Amino acid sequence: MRAPGEMPPPRKGLYGFIDRRYGITPLVDFLAHKEVPIGGHSMVWYYLGGITLFFFAIQLASGVLLLAYYQPGEATSYESIRFLTTKVPFGWLVRSMHCWSAHLMILSLITHMLSTMVLKAYRTPRELTWVTGFVLFALALGFGFSGYLLPWNELAFFATAVGTDSMKAVPGIGEWLLQVMRGGTDVSINTLYRFFALHVVVLPLFTVGVVTGHLLFVQRQGMAAPMAHDKPARGMKFFPDFALRDLLLWLVCLIALASLAVFLPYGPGIPGMEWELGKKANPLAPAYPGIKPEWYFLWVYQLLKEFPAHLFGMEGSQAAIAVVSVLFGIWALVPWLDRNARASRPSPAFTDLAMAALVFLAYLMLKAWDIGGGEAVLPDPRAVARICAYWGLLFAAVTVAVRLALRSAPYFDFTAAAALQIALHGFVGLSYLAAGAISVLLLAATLAFRIVRSRNAVAVGTQP
Amino acid sequence: MPPSGEAMKRRSVLDLLLGVGVLGFLGSVLYPVLRYLKPLGAQTQNGPIKLAGEELAKLDKEHSVIVRAGATRIVVFEDSAQRLRALSARCTHEGCTVQYVPGDSVIWCACHNGRFDLDGRVVSGPPPRPLDKFSCTREADGAVVIQLGRGPEAA
Repeated sequence: MRAPGEMPPPRKGLYGFIDRRYGITPLVDFLAHKEVPIGGHSMVWYYLGGITLFFFAIQLASGVLLLAYYQPGEATSYESIRFLTTKVPFGWLVRSMHCWSAHLMILSLITHMLSTMVLKAYRTPRELTWVTGFVLFALALGFGFSGYLLPWNELAFFATAVGTDSMKAVPGIGEWLLQVMRGGTDVSINTLYRFFALHVVVLPLFTVGVVTGHLLFVQRQGMAAPMAHDKPARGMKFFPDFALRDLLLWLVCLIALASLAVFLPYGPGIPGMEWELGKKANPLAPAYPGIKPEWYFLWVYQLLKEFPAHLFGMEGSQAAIAVVSVLFGIWALVPWLDRNARASRPSPAFTDLAMAALVFLAYLMLKAWDIGGGEAVLPDPRAVARICAYWGLLFAAVTVAVRLALRSAPYFDFTAAAALQIALHGFVGLSYLAAGAISVLLLAATLAFRIVRSRNAVAVGTQP
Repeated sequence: MPPSGEAMKRRSVLDLLLGVGVLGFLGSVLYPVLRYLKPLGAQTQNGPIKLAGEELAKLDKEHSVIVRAGATRIVVFEDSAQRLRALSARCTHEGCTVQYVPGDSVIWCACHNGRFDLDGRVVSGPPPRPLDKFSCTREADGAVVIQLGRGPEAA
């Protein structure tokens, strides 16, 4: 037995070799004692970040494999992808895995972000984990947007024309930014060269850096316990118990990914989630009917349609992009806006905000898909708005029912505002923006009333 | 010992100089990079352009064709009265390429459902401005000529 204070004997082998030089024992001790809080129904959500990381790793690996054949160029981009998918052994599989994994990564990232929002895991001291996560979300969207153009097909060409054109809405430097992104005034092969550099060098470098920061924060602070279990009674060892569960889940994800890639090599066939190569991009061909961006950009696409030609002295598209920027800004600053969660008090308003955001996005997505429009090339917008309103309101009702079933605090102001907008637009026939303005005004009045009432209650409570 | 007022003043002057130096250094690094990324101006094409044989054949067969003119694209089409017209093919909303729909006598953008009349004026949808209009004529030998040099005609 060692006397108190006596140092353990130096380890031998490779560990000892590294430890003597770099002193890794404190780090290993830290990791050995790391625990994941157990309690509540939140355990399942702890795996989503890991799943997103796994899909990102698949993206890096399959991306490097694609680079073995892909040749950027007017006469080669489309042709090399066609060659890759039709002639190269398993080329179709590599491309299909890259595409499927990209969509699944965005899906798990969004679910991860929503669960963080609902569980208030962003609350002090984890604000910067949320912010780095938000930056990673923005980088993932950048990956999707820049990668879309690389096959140089028709769909990619117009999606990029629309996406880059919205850059002109940036005040002051919009035109400059537009030209820098496109490498000219219009989308051309110069745009592809720039997007290629962005997609395979700039974004991966940034992402690896920010992911490292995000993971360091999570490792240093540990995972956030749910509000009701701020001091969890029990914990699960991160190494090896949680890490092995992570690994097992990654294996399940890999099998699911491989199955999807094999059985649906060109995607599920939903507009915004399909990657048939189609026709080569031709800048002199008109945009074709039914053209849609990726599913996670559909809501922006639909907003651009809903805004009139001019609004408040701005062009409609500029106003739409301004609204999108404000919504993103609010989302990024949630840890500071949610003062209840900062003080470790229940914060049902922000749970409701997350649910309302889902309802808002779902309705725009349904409209973008022209649900209820039949087979017509140009469906009747009134019919689409009405049928989508049924589905949108059904979805809102389901979120409310699930929250009530989970005994979440009954706070529904934001969801009610989102539902009101859907009803006014879909059933009453107001324009999308007029319906939105009425809903936002009513919401603002309700929130003001609640704040005044709670202040009065506090003032009455503190009377001697 | 805390620094005297004189030393503080000297230090703040040095801090200021250092700050200006750092900003100057960053500027001298960033300016060439930003200037490098801004593409060179596109060649502007002046004067009339004549449709090539292939384009002419497409116009005759499909009643419309989209041609490149310098940095812009132009849609040339024949309306129901067999009159030739030419409009900018770049939708003023988000820059998609528009098309002539002979049945409805409209110019349509499939991206966000913007519609223009045959003079390029906005009929419906989100486009904020009309399409630029160009003069377009068929010469005696059958050649189709678009006038670019005098700038777009007022719509």
